[in-house]
Amino acid sequence: MERLRIRVALTAAAVALGALAGCTGSNADSSAAGQAAAGSGPGAQNGYAEIAKLPDWSGVWEPVARPGRGGPPPEPPKVTPAYAAQYAAYQEKNRTTPGINFISNVANCVPPGLPGSMLQPYPIEFLFSPGRVTILIETYSLVRRIYTDGSPLPENPDPTYQGTSVGHWEGDTLVVETIGILPETSPLSGINGHSDKLRITERIRLVEPDVLEIVTTREDPEVFVEPYTTTARYQRHRDWKMMEYICAQNNRDSVDEHGNPGINIERKPGE
Amino acid sequence: MNVQMLMRAALVCLVTVLASAPGAAHHSTAMFEWGKEMTLEGVVDKYEWTQPHTFIWLNVTGKNGKAEQWAFEGMSPSWLGRRGWNSRTLKQGDALKIVYYPLRDGRKGGFYVRVILPDGRKLEAMPQRSS
Repeated sequence: MERLRIRVALTAAAVALGALAGCTGSNADSSAAGQAAAGSGPGAQNGYAEIAKLPDWSGVWEPVARPGRGGPPPEPPKVTPAYAAQYAAYQEKNRTTPGINFISNVANCVPPGLPGSMLQPYPIEFLFSPGRVTILIETYSLVRRIYTDGSPLPENPDPTYQGTSVGHWEGDTLVVETIGILPETSPLSGINGHSDKLRITERIRLVEPDVLEIVTTREDPEVFVEPYTTTARYQRHRDWKMMEYICAQNNRDSVDEHGNPGINIERKPGE
Repeated sequence: MNVQMLMRAALVCLVTVLASAPGAAHHSTAMFEWGKEMTLEGVVDKYEWTQPHTFIWLNVTGKNGKAEQWAFEGMSPSWLGRRGWNSRTLKQGDALKIVYYPLRDGRKGGFYVRVILPDGRKLEAMPQRSS
């Protein structure tokens, strides 16, 4: 009787192992097919104990110094001839009315892609979970999922606004690599569009107990002659809460294809 | 609070002000005469606490006694909500003075900078200009 019970248990264990192996196999297949792994890599097994070793990035982070705003303007990028004209035109406009000459589609509520999404005026927040860092961006209610479980970047991810990201920790610095960003997004204020080769590298770390620094490098040989790096800083507010931001709620602003802004102040009856 | 902490707080405050100018979040401000303050008195018809911008719809008595409706776009709940404003700060029927940057095209509207209540209280609605 006892022997039978053990045999049943062993059989059950074998079936379970087989199922697990099959499961792992199918994961590997979908990964090969270009899917980003979802927190199932080696890092995830260490689970929440690993998270306790990470730096404390809790709280809500307000951008206080973005490129060209809140500090000396960064060195201008070296732009390829294909993008030089539109960038020069933007610089000229910016000389007379700095900081307000958006030419991207965000006024029409089309959200910014990376890295513009990280340089919006409203706060961001970080969530750590096993094998994963999630960045919540208040402006346009965007989410970035950064896999830190050791999975590699897929070779040809389908393009999205925030791209496909993996990250790893170098001490207390999170290094994030992102590819697969939609080519109609803006890699830098004043440049609309880029190639499918755009690659963003971010180095994120605390530089003071409540000041977070993000150093962002843009690489795209069709836009930038050499990699272009900017630095942004964020101030921690432990007492702030993130807010909802639904751009379609009441957007009366617009921008046309030439960058001309508009505002609709007509009210429909009953509005 | 020691001197160092005070200095740091002052620096953060300064950086915040610089970073926030000129203010509007997701679009160009070129349709407004940005920086030219105008004042108008009226009664709130509707206060919209909405993203990406708040709006004050104001009933105003025009020069010839005719009723006019004015539209004022403002900062977002994301900005105002962290500086003392909320969805109940203004309501229909409130009489107030509004300080605004006018639309360039002459339509009845602008971007609201601050609101002055009948008791004299000023509600700042934008980052203070640093230049």
